[in-house]
Amino acid sequence: MKSKQIKIALRNCGHIDPEDLSDYIARDGYKALSTTLSGSRETVVQTIIKSGLRGRGGGGFPTGKKWELAAAVKGDKKYVICNADEGDPGAFMDRSVLEGDPHSVLEAMAVCGYAIGADEGYIYIRAEYPLAIKRLKIAMAQAKEAGLLGQNILGTGFNFEIGLKYGAGAFVCGEETALIKSMEGNRGEPIMKPPYPAQKGFMGKPTNVNNVETFANIPAIINKGADWFASIGTEGSKGTKVFALAGKVKNVGLVEVPMGTTLRELIFDIGGGIVGGKKFKAAQTGGPSGGCLTEKHLDTPIDYESLKAAGSMMGSGGLIVMDEDNCMPAVAQFYLDFTVEESCGKCVPCREGNKVLYQILNKITHGNGTLEDLKKLKDLSEIIKSTSLCGLGQTAPNPVLSTLNNFYDEYYEHVVEKKCRAKVCRALIKYIIIPDKCVGCGACKRACPAEAISGEIKQKHLIDQDKCIKCGACYQKCKFNAIIIE
Amino acid sequence: MKQLKNFGEFESLRQELKVKEAENEKKVRIYIAMATCSIASGSAKVLEYFKEEMPKQPVEFVIKPTGCLGLCHSEPTVEVVLPGSGPVVFGKVDTKRAKLIIDEYIKNGKLIDGVIEEN
Amino acid sequence: MACAIKEKEIKEKVAEICKEFNNDPKELIAILHKSQNHFGFLPKEVQTAIAETIHIPASKVYGVITFYSYFTMEPKGKYPISICMGTACYVKGAEKVLKEFEKQLEIKNGQTTPDGKFSMNTLRCIGACGLAPVIMIGEKVYGSVKPEEVAKIIKEYE
Ligand SMILES: Cc1cc2nc3c(=O)[nH]c(=O)nc-3n(C[C@H](O)[C@H](O)[C@H](O)COP(=O)(O)O)c2cc1C
Ligand code: SF4
Ligand code: SF4
Ligand code: FES
Repeated sequence: MKSKQIKIALRNCGHIDPEDLSDYIARDGYKALSTTLSGSRETVVQTIIKSGLRGRGGGGFPTGKKWELAAAVKGDKKYVICNADEGDPGAFMDRSVLEGDPHSVLEAMAVCGYAIGADEGYIYIRAEYPLAIKRLKIAMAQAKEAGLLGQNILGTGFNFEIGLKYGAGAFVCGEETALIKSMEGNRGEPIMKPPYPAQKGFMGKPTNVNNVETFANIPAIINKGADWFASIGTEGSKGTKVFALAGKVKNVGLVEVPMGTTLRELIFDIGGGIVGGKKFKAAQTGGPSGGCLTEKHLDTPIDYESLKAAGSMMGSGGLIVMDEDNCMPAVAQFYLDFTVEESCGKCVPCREGNKVLYQILNKITHGNGTLEDLKKLKDLSEIIKSTSLCGLGQTAPNPVLSTLNNFYDEYYEHVVEKKCRAKVCRALIKYIIIPDKCVGCGACKRACPAEAISGEIKQKHLIDQDKCIKCGACYQKCKFNAIIIE
Repeated sequence: MKQLKNFGEFESLRQELKVKEAENEKKVRIYIAMATCSIASGSAKVLEYFKEEMPKQPVEFVIKPTGCLGLCHSEPTVEVVLPGSGPVVFGKVDTKRAKLIIDEYIKNGKLIDGVIEEN
Repeated sequence: MACAIKEKEIKEKVAEICKEFNNDPKELIAILHKSQNHFGFLPKEVQTAIAETIHIPASKVYGVITFYSYFTMEPKGKYPISICMGTACYVKGAEKVLKEFEKQLEIKNGQTTPDGKFSMNTLRCIGACGLAPVIMIGEKVYGSVKPEEVAKIIKEYE
């Protein structure tokens, strides 16, 4: 099972001391910057275009094209921004790159600065990543001292300074226009595009925003050539993608695989399969904006297009594996809870619509849903998608739609049969004592906070379903496996 | 590091560091993952242990704190490269296992349980 | 009188922090981070002091604080307990851990115990998903937490 992985963005992670610039240089660090500075601006942009690199922050916009646009805008002052907000909960690719190889991002930002004509860059990073922040600060100081950042880099007359800006726990700030608002000291509310940041970004100046992983690919592309990079991956998606495998998979962790790898290879070969030999149910990609992939998608090669076709999206690379113990309506509700909390509140459909979606899902998971509700979920989702301003609102209903499409029978069971097959929804489960197995030890009766269990010592015990609050205390206490969940 | 003033200075520093790196390849190299999740699983103690114990061994060595290999399921991880052989990654290393790694693998070239196949 | 002194202290400290950032309103978020680090939370007095120092309306400061979940206007407990409710942790049963903490400490998420010892909040992914479910008490990270272990963890701080 060797070598399904190809490490480009993670090439140095685990192999160098991130706090030592010499280590990075010994592994071809800053060589790409030196090559870049000895050539023309157009050459860099063309190399990136030719490599086929697309943005790894979620959208998948061709990076070279983006640089070309920013380079073409006239302006005496431009900015380069690295988006290190990594808001998708359950994803940690960017953190790993910043903690393991901070210089590669700094180097790439300087390359970008040269390409588009900017002399100042900022990294917008989550305050929740103190170690990454510390290592970035060390790296910035070292690069500056060595003359690889700052004024008159390598004697070429090119200047490039990098600063840090901190996020403060708002998911929507990962969206580029909101991020820029936040950097300017405001509430991070998205604004209409156009104008795009390339035209009018930070401080009203032309700005190029790229994701951490996107940047981490740049030095490797310049050192090894656009053709090399373009030879990896699929027709429309070149290179590799880092995924954060998490959830019910055995080998939780980061993996970097060529675009076009199948979900089966990711979860079962590299990921080692499902924990405890349980059955695979679904994998969520794209975080709260994405959807779930199911058994039937296991052999689909993963790239930007195929994921979209399957009703999900690439997103930033979080890949959450779920097994038979996860309840899909409850998962949808979990994501909606997230988006409701994170909506900036600017647009009504996103602010109010998602709340209603959440309430309907809540009704369903509490056993009060109707078939009518399922239809409402679908209709409302479509409206929210088409009428919200930014990507958050436009994608928030995706988890609902995708679970509805792929797991309609589970929704149906919740609303019609009032059953939760994963035994997650408390209102829909029952704790029952099997008389044959009960030895009458009384442990459950003592544990029950609601006094719902009756029975004398050494006699069969019984749970009064009307009194039971479904806390599961008895279930945990019974040593004889006499209590089951139905 | 001193200020690099032109391409030439950068290139010669690069070559110098590459030579140094090549020299390191003759030594036992120990890479200890020190990312957020590694530290949360106790890697700082492991790093300290190696730093303390290795100087007592009759081998030349380098110890490097690094970022992570992405093997969250097995943190703390330690990668050991003996001169002339491929890298070996040990998972779930605590000071006890660190001692085993030194006694068995580094001194005698004998593998112990809990080696992670990187795929 | 005591109150006036405290107010003076706050003003001086805030002025010092703001000055580090050149009293630049564009640095408001950085100023808030630094202030919260120092005071532990951002009460009204700190908010007005910041507004006055960098010459922006207090409503703007308030608006920014309430927008970002990282900022808090409530004092935290001596041992702030943060429970990760990111996706990886959720899928691995973080909700049960949360419920158990609520039960053991007899407070709800977001509250502080009457003796000021523990406070509880949830956060979204601290990037240690490999160890899900994850909780943090102060700076210390606990991985693979089971509901049965909650009582034992709390005991460590008693
Ligand atoms: C709600 C929302 C959240 C986002 N969060 C992130 C994020 O955390 N990190 C990121 O790099 N991009 C995020 N993006 C995408 C950015 O808007 C932007 O497209 C990206 O940073 C561009 O970089 P790239 O082209 O290199 O991917 C988000 C977008 C939306 C709509
Ligand atoms: S879609 Fe939602 S998050 Fe985006 S701008 Fe509108 S209200 Fe804010
Ligand atoms: S704990 Fe189990 S065996 Fe004991 S009385 Fe309850 S159901 Fe019966
Ligand atoms: S989801 Fe909890 S640490 Fe990432």
